[in-house]
Amino acid sequence: MNKDYILGVFKDEESLVEAFEKVKQKGILPFEVYTPYPVHEILEGMGNKTRISHAAFFFGLFSAIGILTFLTWAATISWPINYGGKPTNSFPSFIVVTIVATILSITLLTLFTFSARAKIFPGKVPEIFHSRATDDRFVMVIDKKSLGENEESVNAIITAHGEVE
Amino acid sequence: MKDQLIVSKKFKTAAYILIGIGVVSFALGFAFDAKRTWANYLLNNYYFLSLAMGAAFFGAIQYITQSGWSAAFKRISEAMVAYIPFAAVFFLLLFFGMHSIFEWTHEEVVAEDHLLQHKSAYLNIPFFFTRIVVFFGAWILLSKLLRKLSLKEDETGGLDYFVKSEMYSKIFIFVIAISFSLFAVDMLMSLEPQWFSTIFAAKSFIAAFMHGSSIITLVVIILSRLGKLEFLNRSHLHDFTRYIFMSSIVWGYFNFVEFMLIWYGNIPEETAWFVHRWDGAYKILFFVNIILNWFAPFIVLMPRKTSRSKLFIFPVIVLLIIGQYTELYYIIWPAVVHEAKFGLLEIGTFIGFAGVFALVVATWLSKASLVPSKHPYIEESMQHHF
Repeated sequence: MNKDYILGVFKDEESLVEAFEKVKQKGILPFEVYTPYPVHEILEGMGNKTRISHAAFFFGLFSAIGILTFLTWAATISWPINYGGKPTNSFPSFIVVTIVATILSITLLTLFTFSARAKIFPGKVPEIFHSRATDDRFVMVIDKKSLGENEESVNAIITAHGEVE
Repeated sequence: MKDQLIVSKKFKTAAYILIGIGVVSFALGFAFDAKRTWANYLLNNYYFLSLAMGAAFFGAIQYITQSGWSAAFKRISEAMVAYIPFAAVFFLLLFFGMHSIFEWTHEEVVAEDHLLQHKSAYLNIPFFFTRIVVFFGAWILLSKLLRKLSLKEDETGGLDYFVKSEMYSKIFIFVIAISFSLFAVDMLMSLEPQWFSTIFAAKSFIAAFMHGSSIITLVVIILSRLGKLEFLNRSHLHDFTRYIFMSSIVWGYFNFVEFMLIWYGNIPEETAWFVHRWDGAYKILFFVNIILNWFAPFIVLMPRKTSRSKLFIFPVIVLLIIGQYTELYYIIWPAVVHEAKFGLLEIGTFIGFAGVFALVVATWLSKASLVPSKHPYIEESMQHHF
């Protein structure tokens, strides 16, 4: 039992979604919803559009340009070597390295961005609202401050579909 | 059947006029330049067959993956597959143009070339046409079977037909993968029989798949403009463009791998093909191909917003229609015609074949209800949303 939050715990997707919609109709946006798998209505209802894909695109764009520039600079200006009569600027063969290294940099940079935004770091004490939120239960977390005078009715909505804990 | 498409008189007349233009330019072509005319014939023949084969592969994949979203659109791929028998006739007519196009059919050339003698066990006219007959036989047989099951399902419903279709689809993709690869080698790669490239067949295959699925999307868009397929929503469009996007990346990859390895390996048997395509118009076409078939779809269809809006999808499809043409032109012309000639003959024959293809697709679309109402996944398909 948490002092600042109401936890609605549901056994299946349908009851969670129904309760979620009703709570939203009251003008209350839940603080967070934990589901074992992505639930479309919740993703849309929570209204948090992720921008990580945009970030990933620009990481990719800049690392691709950077890697290509570096390879060209290294092979033509800094250390030109004759490999079997090929021109020093052997662009097609740079592409392979660029693709692979770009994928690596996108992966790592996106991981770091995500961790920074979600405030996740090694050794962090996990915030777990409910012991089965990481298991098979659907948990809706509502901030008590956002409730105002609706606490009774929200409790009623949740108990109609699941349990309040 | 409420969702019946009725092919309008106007459309039919327009298609016949296009076919007429094609026939006229084809006939006139013989009067001026027979070799170039046969090259045109091969190009357009292969072009529209590749669309039909791409659609066949698309349809088979939907059954094998038991996709729910595409169930309502399966009539469109079926209608495109109905072009295969027509292509079979056209390809058999190629018999009269063999000597104009294929170098290996000339006995005096083969007699002087040790490599061609070595290859002549495979590349000879009787075996060539046996292959055409066998391949087309298998394609027509399997596609007719699938079509029959799909029409029967419309009458009685139930799961049996779906299970059977899935079975045949499994056979079909293996048949397509092997036979269409060999077919592409026969029709395109053997134009320059001294050349070796292992990935060529895979590249042709993925090009067929990409352009086939883009034409399916085009037909869907056109039908929705005509007021059919009212349930079409942005999620469907997104799923269609995923196919285009994915296959354009694979095409770009194959195209690059083919070029890069040949460039790096620098073996004369392989590089010759690219060397005589490395000047003038062909050099430009080399880059145009990459832009049209990989770069444009890749960039335009990447964002979520553009990949689900007809406003952006339509121009990409138009670019891809041109892209498949330039791609085949780049393969066929340097081998057969040598000079990069493009004129009324090319436009005329393309228009003619496009008329046949459009007429076949429209006729076969109108032969059955546009939406397979008793498909087990039809509800899921209509409600598709993500």
